[in-house]
Amino acid sequence: MSNKQDSKATYIFKKREFGIFVFIVVLLAIFGAIEPRFFRSDNLSAILSSVGILMVVGAGQTLVIVTRNIDLSVGSTLGLSAMVMGMVARSNPEFSTVGLILISMFVGGLCGLLNGLLVSYGKIPSIIATLGTLAIIRGAVFIVSDNVQIDPNDVPQAIIDLSTTSPIGIPWLLIFAFISITLVWYISSQTLLGKRIYAVGSNPEGAISRGLSFNRITILVFVFLGVLAGVGGVLYTARYATINPADVGRGLEFDVISAVVIGGTNIFGGSGTALGTALGCLLIGILSNGLTVVGVSPFWKACATGFLILLAVTVDNVVRRKQEQKFLLAIRNQGAGK
Amino acid sequence: MKNLLKQKGRKKMPSYLVGPTVILILAMVYGSLGSEYFLDPTSIVFNTGRYIEIGLLALALTFVIINGDIDLSVASMLAASAGVLAKLFAAGVPILWCSLAAVVTGLVLGLINGLIVIKLGLPSLVVTLATLALYRGITQVMLGDSVVADYPESFIGFDQRLIIGGTPGLPAPLALFFVAALIFYFILHRSNYGLLNIMSGSNPSSSKFSGVSVDRVRLTAFAISGLVSGLCAVMITSRLGSTISNVGLGLELLAITVVVLGGTDIFGGRGAISGTIVALFAIMAVRESLVIQDVNGQVQDAAIGILLILTVLIPRIREYTVDKRNRQKRFNEAQSKTVSH
Repeated sequence: MSNKQDSKATYIFKKREFGIFVFIVVLLAIFGAIEPRFFRSDNLSAILSSVGILMVVGAGQTLVIVTRNIDLSVGSTLGLSAMVMGMVARSNPEFSTVGLILISMFVGGLCGLLNGLLVSYGKIPSIIATLGTLAIIRGAVFIVSDNVQIDPNDVPQAIIDLSTTSPIGIPWLLIFAFISITLVWYISSQTLLGKRIYAVGSNPEGAISRGLSFNRITILVFVFLGVLAGVGGVLYTARYATINPADVGRGLEFDVISAVVIGGTNIFGGSGTALGTALGCLLIGILSNGLTVVGVSPFWKACATGFLILLAVTVDNVVRRKQEQKFLLAIRNQGAGK
Repeated sequence: MKNLLKQKGRKKMPSYLVGPTVILILAMVYGSLGSEYFLDPTSIVFNTGRYIEIGLLALALTFVIINGDIDLSVASMLAASAGVLAKLFAAGVPILWCSLAAVVTGLVLGLINGLIVIKLGLPSLVVTLATLALYRGITQVMLGDSVVADYPESFIGFDQRLIIGGTPGLPAPLALFFVAALIFYFILHRSNYGLLNIMSGSNPSSSKFSGVSVDRVRLTAFAISGLVSGLCAVMITSRLGSTISNVGLGLELLAITVVVLGGTDIFGGRGAISGTIVALFAIMAVRESLVIQDVNGQVQDAAIGILLILTVLIPRIREYTVDKRNRQKRFNEAQSKTVSH
């Protein structure tokens, strides 16, 4: 009996991602039917590269939200890491590309560590702590850069090339996105650490009483997200080449959280997958690009995103309730059988 | 004896007020060191105009947050209401009716938020994240990239008008804020609804079982938040004299910061209007004292972020040390008992 229940649960769980997938296909079909130019390869690659940064950061945010936390400071973290990297590149033009990427990841990781420490040892609710660091890190971007932006000719060509070239024909930007999604998928489903992260998210008291270090796992997921936001900083620099202290990564937190929520991650923690987040990012990217290509005013984009979030959470909620009902019914039947 | 009674009866300052009050005083001192005109009553009174919208939004958000909900969409509701106001005005409707329509729009949008959260049983964080985008999108669709201006002289410059003349005088927004604060104080701390509000926030299920209509209380809080956003839309339009689609962008984070700084528990069940009021003035003082020092706006926000984290963190550290001391004491007592046995 319990075995059958399990298979049903995983079936519905799979169906959630499948639902987003179907939605994406329908959307593609509609946009393609209205405007065949939508399927031109340069447009498709434009969609993918616009979604790449969102995917990298969203992958990390998924794990943070799974542990019942939220990180509002990702946009500022991305900004600070891109800015520090850009300044290093400006003062030492001969600096190696790998070194620059590592610097950006390191700065991002430090920001993540700050968030993690505040949330775990400081016991500050993550929404407050990261609301504070959102402003603090953005202020740091200004102090570090002295309010001077990094111009495209200060950014090394090797970094800019990351968004267009690569060894195997796919731009590095997408490879980074693919790696981060795969990494999160691997951690969450194939490792003991992943099991622990989900355990802390679905039942913190239980996880602590089983001897899991709540603080260590919280810090870990925040640092991981910070490092990925650092990678996002590199990709931002590659894509836009200009790093403006006020603009870099501004408002990214809302896009990322929207994508994660559309991807089916429960905002109260405990469930969510990397694949769902990837599809959520893709959906947002396709929608915003498609609306433009079809000729709808770009002003509708925010409306569409809002609707999409509402639709996604409503569907999730209905599915979850049905699942619970079935589960309760099964228990009752079992009791009656005895 | 009488004196002693008086001493004992004197209330201590509530702990949630300590942080913002200290910040307020320090910022005042810092600001007056920066410029001798900082404490000039006229400049103080006239610099408040820009913060009153944040203050009003924060007052309304206090209710929502005490309920254990959150409303991220306040700034977008403000924008949508301002958009309705601008559209109607451009169509030739008298400004008074436009303003009324803006307030009603805010109320309706707030009710929509509340109904989605309650009827569909969805987390308010996600729903208002969605309506944050949705309402802002509606505003963008309504206004496009156009600017609506040319409001009548009698409508604009609300923040420059004085209720009580002379120097320093009392500008209209500040007076409005005090009236609103008083009303909210009575609703939260002296009325039935306020009690139900705190109850349903601190323990929703047990409140439900004791006959509190938790859903209605939550819906009312969302409606209040929408109504106040509509009111702020009228104020901000009057202050700026023009309307664009990104009006009030990012105000929600500032308003939430004010509420949290004022000691309201982000998980609900605890909070006070007085905290929100003091926190608003503390943020105002910090910002203005940094403006005098010619500090960049983003760095001002960063300073407020640091203060926000410190006000939450310092009581935790105290709690922790007290807890540790108590544990040590208990341990010592237990030790001495075993020894005596």
